Amino acid sequence: MNPIPRQSGCRVQDHEISRRAFLSHSLAVGSGALLGTSGALHALDEDSLNAQLRSTGRSVILLWLAGGASQLETWDPKPGRPTGGPYAAIPTSVPGVHISELMPQMAKRMHKVSVIRSLNTGDGGHGTAAEMMLRGRKNEAALDYPDMGAIFAKELGRADSKVPGYVSFYSQSEGRGNTRKTSAFLGARFAPMNLDADMMPPNITRLDDISGLDHAERADLRDLLSARFARGRENETLKSHAAAYARVQGLMSSEELFDIEKEPQAIRDRYGPTLFAQQALMARRMVEAGVPFVRVARAWWDSHGQNFETHAEMVPELDHVMATLLDDLEQRGMLEHTLVVAMGEFGRTPRINGSLGRDHFASAWSAAIFGCGVQRGAVYGKTDEDGLTVAEDEVGAGEVFATVLRAMGVDPHHEYHVGVRPIPLVNPGIEAIRPLLA
Amino acid sequence: MEKIPEKIEESKKLSRQDMAFCLATHPGSERVVFGSSDAGLHEVDLAQENPEPVSFSGEHGHSSYVTGLARGSGGLLVSGSYDRRLVWWNAETRTSIRAVDNAHEKWIRQVTASPDGTLVASVGDDMICRLWNVADGKLVRELKGGHATETPHHYPSMLYACAFSPDGELLATADRVGHIVVWKVADGSQVRTLEAPVMYTWDPDRRRHSIGGIRAIAFSPDGRQLAVGGIGQIGNIDHLGGPARLRLFDWEKGETEAELESGEVQGIVERIHYHPGGKWLLAMGGDHKGLALVVDTATNKIVSETRTPANHAHDFAFTDAGDGIYVAGHNHLTAHDLVAG
Repeated sequence: MNPIPRQSGCRVQDHEISRRAFLSHSLAVGSGALLGTSGALHALDEDSLNAQLRSTGRSVILLWLAGGASQLETWDPKPGRPTGGPYAAIPTSVPGVHISELMPQMAKRMHKVSVIRSLNTGDGGHGTAAEMMLRGRKNEAALDYPDMGAIFAKELGRADSKVPGYVSFYSQSEGRGNTRKTSAFLGARFAPMNLDADMMPPNITRLDDISGLDHAERADLRDLLSARFARGRENETLKSHAAAYARVQGLMSSEELFDIEKEPQAIRDRYGPTLFAQQALMARRMVEAGVPFVRVARAWWDSHGQNFETHAEMVPELDHVMATLLDDLEQRGMLEHTLVVAMGEFGRTPRINGSLGRDHFASAWSAAIFGCGVQRGAVYGKTDEDGLTVAEDEVGAGEVFATVLRAMGVDPHHEYHVGVRPIPLVNPGIEAIRPLLA
Repeated sequence: MEKIPEKIEESKKLSRQDMAFCLATHPGSERVVFGSSDAGLHEVDLAQENPEPVSFSGEHGHSSYVTGLARGSGGLLVSGSYDRRLVWWNAETRTSIRAVDNAHEKWIRQVTASPDGTLVASVGDDMICRLWNVADGKLVRELKGGHATETPHHYPSMLYACAFSPDGELLATADRVGHIVVWKVADGSQVRTLEAPVMYTWDPDRRRHSIGGIRAIAFSPDGRQLAVGGIGQIGNIDHLGGPARLRLFDWEKGETEAELESGEVQGIVERIHYHPGGKWLLAMGGDHKGLALVVDTATNKIVSETRTPANHAHDFAFTDAGDGIYVAGHNHLTAHDLVAG
């Protein structure tokens, strides 16, 4: 564990002002994806966690490196070793810490980032490993757990919010299905708005043959009738129904939020022209608008052949996007209430195969994290000299999950209930990685 | 050996833990020098029953994969590496003579010598070809501006391959997206550009990255034909599971003479050499395993394709007599006999 220069406390009050200002002129959105609910579960209780937390305006951006990026070509290089590959390690802004030469921009910002180099997650299958990393544990045979996004949508999303609680960008088709079972027993209310084909949600534009006035009057009429119908009826489904309509109305009135053309060209240029870069910029816009959780998937890293060419192509993009996002969040004063996590379902084998590829490897790999609630410039854990095993401070999916929850102010041991069964957010015995917490 | 070989039979194998990426022969002997993933150069005499490699040493060396090796005049070898460095070696003493640090701004992919051995050309991912005087190590000329640094999809491109024409007056370079430039060595001007986009597979939907590139290039002995090799039109770009590809150009006319792809044998072509007689060419590479394609240059057709017993082949050279080859590959250095029908 490297020395930690300073902490990154979340100063929420400052943020509230900028958020309101932003909201006042740019949005009031809702999510068509949030239609529907599951009223049978206690998990839907709106007061399951404290209201104060929801008021903090904290958000998470998950950069989901689907397919499994190589830790050796990113955060844990082993130059000169038989497993090390051809790329050099370069010094970073944290003395004594080196990362791959493919990440020069992040190397300069390493004092603002923390890296976990000791992940041993034990599952080398894309589907099951993705489910596990997104939940911090494996699903049970008879019970699926909600994923990270659904939990934060529930715990950080405001009941009165008109923005989606969970937005997911996943444009590549490979591995997308591994991320689809999301909200589980929390219900569709906390499922993501999936923006796969386009960054603009489909069908949010008012039909041409309905005027703005007509549209508003229809909404008023629907509200009037709903209120009359609900009078004297205490029913969660009715409440959810009304809330969903409100969100859809908000969404329809906020095309601009999803329109990247509204972002100044200079900002778009900073992020760069690739789809991943543009989606990362959209994630920042979403978070700025109050979306609690945004996943930006960058698939597909599964370099069984030509690993070094694939990483020479993709890591510079990751490096640039992460560095730009970090700078952008920091310059807007958002880094202190936004947590960014970069990880996939596993890493890649130290052994280099005959096609100059690396295969699936879950025994000793890395993830990176920066922003709200976590230390800066820390490196947690260590692998052996060839990267074959974890040498120090081994952690699994549960610990990473608990760390993300804790960093955001959510108690990992908080319990939901499915019927009468208490369901803690992490498995018993799992704790956050304390040295990484601010 | 003028006849087209029907079989490629492994005659000797030196198993290795490392990867041999490039090699140079020693005329008049069976000594082979190869550049390795262990950042070293090693020599092995394949005439010996149980050959033991001897490592090169000296003040200068590499710190990453050695990916290019060429034999120049005066008993000199020049090697290039992902460490961006070129190193000059005395082939007899197996010691380094000089190094040029930052010979390229990015990784060096190939080094090749002019036919008279006075120049070496190096190509790297800075998308520049540089010509060096073998005798003194001085930069003679830069061939730049011919290859874009980015792919059309805004990712870094790579400059993989280069080859001198038989008379040494021209040099051809080829990159990841299938762009080829023929340069005039004397003044660095561009003589011709050619395209083989089939060598570049961009997957916009499922995986959103690319695979491929022209990895091998060679002029025919008469200088008329230019052959390039790689892989293309791969369904699943996670693997090298596509047909090995060759494209043959009448380069002066700018015309494609043949577009060839392997059948059952899959993988990427890493190196092409025309047989000195010019009647056929051999292309080698592979996926996990090695592959060899023989092309009859009279018909411009693949006449044999072989899955070699050894792993993926990165480089090869003909024996002096032209009746065999030495192959540098994944975990091996091998010798093969070319058996005519």
